[in-house]
Amino acid sequence: MRHSLSLSIGPVAFRVGSAWRAPIDALASLYAGYATPEGGACDFTVRLEPETMWRRWVRPSVAIRGDYILPDAAPLPLGMGLLAAEMGMNLQMALGQKRYLLLHAASVEKDGRALILTGESGAGKSTLAALLGERGWRLMGDEFALLDMATGALRAFPRAISLKNGAISVMEREVIPTRFGPRIENTPKGTIRHLRPQAEAIARMDEPARPALILFPRFGEAAAARGVGQAEVFMRLTQASTNYVALGRAGFGALTGLVGAVPSAAIDYPDTDAALDLVETLWKAAA
Amino acid sequence: MAAIRYIADAQEAVTVVELDGLSALFHAPSGITHIVAPPAPEILAALREGPADAAELLRRLRRHYEIEGDALEARLEELAQAGLVRRA
Amino acid sequence: MSGTEDKAAEEGSVMPSRRTVLVLGAAAASTVVTIRPALAQTAGSVLNCEIPVPGPHAAGSHIARDGSLVPPGTPGAAPPLARPLRGEEARMLLRGSTPPGVQPGSSQAYANYIRRLQSGMSGFTCYASLQMPR
Repeated sequence: MRHSLSLSIGPVAFRVGSAWRAPIDALASLYAGYATPEGGACDFTVRLEPETMWRRWVRPSVAIRGDYILPDAAPLPLGMGLLAAEMGMNLQMALGQKRYLLLHAASVEKDGRALILTGESGAGKSTLAALLGERGWRLMGDEFALLDMATGALRAFPRAISLKNGAISVMEREVIPTRFGPRIENTPKGTIRHLRPQAEAIARMDEPARPALILFPRFGEAAAARGVGQAEVFMRLTQASTNYVALGRAGFGALTGLVGAVPSAAIDYPDTDAALDLVETLWKAAA
Repeated sequence: MAAIRYIADAQEAVTVVELDGLSALFHAPSGITHIVAPPAPEILAALREGPADAAELLRRLRRHYEIEGDALEARLEELAQAGLVRRA
Repeated sequence: MSGTEDKAAEEGSVMPSRRTVLVLGAAAASTVVTIRPALAQTAGSVLNCEIPVPGPHAAGSHIARDGSLVPPGTPGAAPPLARPLRGEEARMLLRGSTPPGVQPGSSQAYANYIRRLQSGMSGFTCYASLQMPR
């Protein structure tokens, strides 16, 4: 590839190659301060390539390729090259990650203990994790949580936070402009803007944490918290995992271990302040 | 017509973890996880004594439990569809 | 981590010595839920996916009301869609509503076509991602 960048994100090393310079420049700027993999060896490769020669000249569009691909992936306009790189890294993890049980969840850490936030798309886990990351918690990741099947610990995977639509202005009020990537309009998910985690989250990305609380946030209702039975937590987490079934007995042992050891609750919240209050209250109760 | 006889996999083929009154089952031969409610774990345990039809299975269960309801064959078919028991 | 597991898996742990009531339930009840792979859900949520109707294997075919492929000109059949459906449009169709740009009279045919997609067919991974509970 003509342009490329290698990045260490927690225990995973990526190499992103691109036929164009712009996506790599945007990625390098967004991930300023991240380490490059030692020795240069990478776990996953993402390639941003022209969809077809014809499209390359007439209307450049980026095909997301890599070690693992999905046949239905649609190309993105070249102006969304950074988003394509991010989607490509997500896809490699979703399809190729075998060392860790991968949960589609955000996670933050305090005192060596991890809070896991998981829920359907749009439940607000990214926004909550991003806010907590500015209010005394260490952001471990907004998209994927990695459960170490041997130790039961959670590994940090602090990629840039993917803020969507209304969450963008919420975080723009909290964080200095230099930590943001470009505003990307009209994506398949609306407007997206990436946010680099705090320097401490990047510096401590190799520190694992012990899972201590699992929350299932849901935006839109009056503030409330209710317990969730272990079987339902287990069921929901299998559905939030990309590789649970592929990991077989090891995945079963790790996930039942997590569910058996860690309290959980579903929370409703009408606004982010209410959510942060609920989180702090439940966290104290779980301590 | 002879009654259908069922057989369950050996104990070591299935890992069971209790989750608040339900059980998570990992079935090693298929690699598939199931969440089951009573009486499924009890039926599986009773079937491990050897192949049995519904009547024989009911006798085995009565040694340990007071039985309510009569849907044992429906439960067996359900377990068979999930791959947790087979027709012998 | 396997502590619970080992204890629960011990011989006879589901056979208590004390006599307890075991409810066999009704014939229509369900006591087994099987965990399905959820790869597709996340793949769909992290990826921009689309469903061509019909797929390239059946280019030019029309879509009958039940979702099957029929020759052009078949009475009541819907024409191929000019561009692939995006995830949200497919989700609307499966919910029974009609996304912008789709003829209301054809939406049932398209919805049924999507439901009939099978593994290996173009659009299946995208369809699978829409099927997961959310």
